Amino acid sequence: MIRLTRRGFGGVVAGGLATATFARSRAFAQGTRVRVGLLSLTSHAPSIIAAAKGYFAEQGLDVEFVSFQAAQPMAVAIASNDVDFGVTAISGGLISLAERGAVKVIGGALQESTDVEGQKILVSKAAYDSGVTTPTDLEGKRFGITTAGSSFHYMAHKIADGEGFARDTMELVPLNGVPAVIASLRSGQIDAWSIVPNIAGGLVASGDVVEIGEISDYIEDYQVTAVFTSSRMAAEEPDTVRSFLAGFARGVDDYNAALVDQTMSEEEVVEISRMIHEYVYTDRPFEDADSAIRAGAMRVNADARMNLTSIEDQLAWFVSEGLVPADASIETLVDTSLVETY
Amino acid sequence: MPTESRDTALHKENWREVPLQKTTRRAPDSGKGGSGKGDLRPVPFRGGGFTYTPRGLISPLVFIALIGLWELGSQTGFISPIALPAPSAAFGAFVDLVRTGTLWRHLEASLFRLIVGWTLGTAIGVAVGLAIALFSVMRAGLSPVVSALFPIPKIALLPLFIVWFGIGEGSKVATILFGAFFPTVIATYGGVDNVDRNLIRMGQSFGLSWLSIVRKIIIPGAMPAILSGFRISASIAIVLLVAAEMIGAQFGIGAYILMAGSLFAIEQLIAGVAMLSILGLTISWLIGRAERYFLTWRT
Repeated sequence: MIRLTRRGFGGVVAGGLATATFARSRAFAQGTRVRVGLLSLTSHAPSIIAAAKGYFAEQGLDVEFVSFQAAQPMAVAIASNDVDFGVTAISGGLISLAERGAVKVIGGALQESTDVEGQKILVSKAAYDSGVTTPTDLEGKRFGITTAGSSFHYMAHKIADGEGFARDTMELVPLNGVPAVIASLRSGQIDAWSIVPNIAGGLVASGDVVEIGEISDYIEDYQVTAVFTSSRMAAEEPDTVRSFLAGFARGVDDYNAALVDQTMSEEEVVEISRMIHEYVYTDRPFEDADSAIRAGAMRVNADARMNLTSIEDQLAWFVSEGLVPADASIETLVDTSLVETY
Repeated sequence: MPTESRDTALHKENWREVPLQKTTRRAPDSGKGGSGKGDLRPVPFRGGGFTYTPRGLISPLVFIALIGLWELGSQTGFISPIALPAPSAAFGAFVDLVRTGTLWRHLEASLFRLIVGWTLGTAIGVAVGLAIALFSVMRAGLSPVVSALFPIPKIALLPLFIVWFGIGEGSKVATILFGAFFPTVIATYGGVDNVDRNLIRMGQSFGLSWLSIVRKIIIPGAMPAILSGFRISASIAIVLLVAAEMIGAQFGIGAYILMAGSLFAIEQLIAGVAMLSILGLTISWLIGRAERYFLTWRT
């Protein structure tokens, strides 16, 4: 989902597999060295802002960014201690790694909230013309997902639950990447999809796709992405983890103020947008990237607060679908001692 | 073919002692040689080197030893369960597949794609390869096209394949078809180019028709290269199965592997990969049988 935005626009990314390219951040005075996994997405902006404004340095951290093309390789890199922190959607892969005692969710990041535009439910023009005009009509339709156990899979089933039709009446088509889902939706080979507003906006504007609803109607306060670290880090270096979360939280405040609540002055917003542009939409000129960064920014939880209710609901869904071992528990997945939960 | 019969004759006499008389009679200067009648002695047959003898037991033993070591490493904790699951755990995942019956749905879907894609790909590939090899116009026109298209990763074209062939079976079969086609073309025309020129000239001297030469000399002569091309294209087809099943496949071994990968269910991942290996071994065995059948003339 959000984590895939850049790939969606990049389009050329083949398969989205484990090629990690290393990008060094500007070196600060020596502190504890931590490596932060980064996808080139606006949802990763809080870390970028915190590094650029020196919030991590103030916490005594010397942050190095490691770029990834997809969330799954980043999760595996954190499990193998090649990267220390990352932000990604709660996926089957992440839960499975947590169950194996390799990673731990330590905080919340992107969340659906009623006051900000959230993820959209889209249908192809052909499906819309044939009468799929509300999410109720999705029964028996083909819904695009990237992989089994992805957030798209979860959202599709939550729509089915909300509308009261059986989950398996919807045909879920795994397409392994956002570019493929977009291609399939635009050419009408799948009927429906759900995606973050900035991608949805572009698709609707193209005229091939129609918006028929919002995910927030079906999933209350959906905790879309979470901050996670390796189990080793959480157990052995809690101080480093706290310092990271403190720096991250200040980045979150700036991000929300600049792009979501728009309480900052225009100059400050441009300054932050420039910081983000160093890592996101780098293949576009700044003027173009600036509007893309501003459009469809979703709220990131202040202080990395975590909606445990939503995470529990997601875990219960993964277990009910047999995507993760039946004995997967919230305790092994989440460390609740570091941030406020609700 | 005279050369052929002589070779077999020699081969039959493998390691049998050949009386000197027989060989000297064949030698052109045997009349002149006055090397005394008394020292006639047997000469051992010196050919027949570099042939392999089948050793049936070794290959299963290697597999058993490797898997045994791996299991031992996992049991003792030397291999972390996150890095690599134990073979027994992977086997457990496989047993689950059998028990739930999904194995057959996966196999059925994948075998259909493999068989249709590979058969069409190699059939068209052999035809195009022969055309390139036999007709200069085709060679000039098509061989650069083949060279230009071969290195394109078919996975990179997947989004386009969706638009061209749909997300049904079309794009999957097409991916495998293209993967099998190019190596077959190259193996085929390479094989034809390497057919013994003397044999072709001999056919021409004997006044064989063009078609006869192609049918009786060129195609059998190129067969070893074509069959080893099949080995490569079959392996490529299996490799591409995973890529093909990235798009819209709910069943299939590749889809199963991809799902296991995205869920980080590594036992299932290894079970799926092992199935591909077994598929590869089976196909290699089948091609071995085909080689034995088509290449009996070579002995």
